[in-house]
Amino acid sequence: MDFITLGGDLLGVIPLGDIVLYLTPFNLFLFAVLLGFTVLIAFSKPETQVEAAKFNTLGNSEVKVGEKEFRQRRFLSIICGIASAGAMITGDLFNFTLFMALVGILNIGIVSAVKQTSVLNSAFNYGLIAMMCSLPLFGGAAIILAATGTLSLEILSSMPANPMVVFGAVLMLIGILGESGVAPFFASKAEMFRTPGSPFIVIIHLSSLFIIVRAVEILLLVLW
Amino acid sequence: MNLMAEILIQVVIAFLAGSLLLGLHRKIMARVQRRPGPPIIQYLLHSLKFFFKETSIPKTVSKPFYIGIVFILALIWIVGVIVGPVAHDSLLILFGVYAVYKIVEHNSGSSSGSPYGKLSCVRAVLSAATELPLFASIVFVYLVTGSMNIGEIIAYQSVHGSLVYTIPFAALMFFMLIITKSPYSPFAITKDKALISGFETEHFGLLRGFMHFSESIAWYVMLWVFLTIFFGPLNAVGYLIGMIVITFITGFINATTPILSPNHSVMTQITIGAFCFFATILMIFI
Repeated sequence: MDFITLGGDLLGVIPLGDIVLYLTPFNLFLFAVLLGFTVLIAFSKPETQVEAAKFNTLGNSEVKVGEKEFRQRRFLSIICGIASAGAMITGDLFNFTLFMALVGILNIGIVSAVKQTSVLNSAFNYGLIAMMCSLPLFGGAAIILAATGTLSLEILSSMPANPMVVFGAVLMLIGILGESGVAPFFASKAEMFRTPGSPFIVIIHLSSLFIIVRAVEILLLVLW
Repeated sequence: MNLMAEILIQVVIAFLAGSLLLGLHRKIMARVQRRPGPPIIQYLLHSLKFFFKETSIPKTVSKPFYIGIVFILALIWIVGVIVGPVAHDSLLILFGVYAVYKIVEHNSGSSSGSPYGKLSCVRAVLSAATELPLFASIVFVYLVTGSMNIGEIIAYQSVHGSLVYTIPFAALMFFMLIITKSPYSPFAITKDKALISGFETEHFGLLRGFMHFSESIAWYVMLWVFLTIFFGPLNAVGYLIGMIVITFITGFINATTPILSPNHSVMTQITIGAFCFFATILMIFI
């Protein structure tokens, strides 16, 4: 299967040496949305999170993000947005896995400065799964390279899938599910979203979902 | 016809038809529960009314996201209309549109600073389990037809017959998504009344008007995609009847089913999704 069948007309190609970027309406849509959100993150300040009333009083407790923590989390969120945007248009399987691993690390980094035990526990659990899943993620890509001799998605899309490629793709799928923390691993990640800092946690969710959407295209390119 | 004019007409049709269908949905639910219910046009009137109401912004919000996310929501469903009814383009783009919709649910809740919005935001992450059946059903459509292009899928069905007969369980998986996104659904954990209005709680006036506008278009686009890829090719009357029938079915289900707890909701969706997934594999490959 080729880019055009999956993502619509090929609007352009940007060759950067070995790294070739493919621009179809599908890839451009994902890329533009991610960049749009990244720009919004760069200009946003976090909300003040109002918690339920304090015990024995009528007052609410307010949780704010400190200035130093804000700067650190904003920086990591912007890098995460750019890495995810890169994953949307790359035409190289290894680049995709690299962006994926980077997004996983940044997702943990974004909440690592938060001083809430439940959030840190969740980030720790997610980190364990992400680390374990980096093995099938990179292993799958390596097996596909060994079986076909290329990591270019354009060439892979024109080659018939042999059993080793199918095995590599299944490994990659397991790696992607774990690294992005979606079902069945979402339970490890959900608590991370309780922390204040709406502009930062949105990129965690956005990067995970969009990586999955792009992974569908990549797996279909490799397998069919 | 001029492309811009066609887009404009289709967006207006999507808004009006979606609003009236959501109004019909409320009416059906009310009649099943032996209440008179509001007039069918009420949802449309509510949507229009909000555009003229005063807009207030809570002092706790993260302003760029709190305001921006509402316009992003409207924009992505307009993209949904362009990709679907106007251009008959790739299903994958519509999947991307749906993914952004999930993000909007998430962020409009968290950006307000409200505890209700925050809980709705966490539940939006949990309810991401609905994406996997959607995703699987799109892949099955692709496996059978050999294309992600909606125009080509319609052409395939005009030769080989509707896909609902070939892969009924994939259609059921997609239908699960429609039930999930219908108002007062047993799976609508992000809008549970225990959370007031969930992620919409802190959006007022013009901003709420845009949310209603987007939800009307979203309902129309989801029904259109479902009918097109599983019951196509259809004419305008076929679409109208199909949309009314689906609205009636979801209204009946929602009127008679209590909302599930988040864990039960996710597990039910995953169980039904897994059953349909393996059943479709068996039907395709055996």
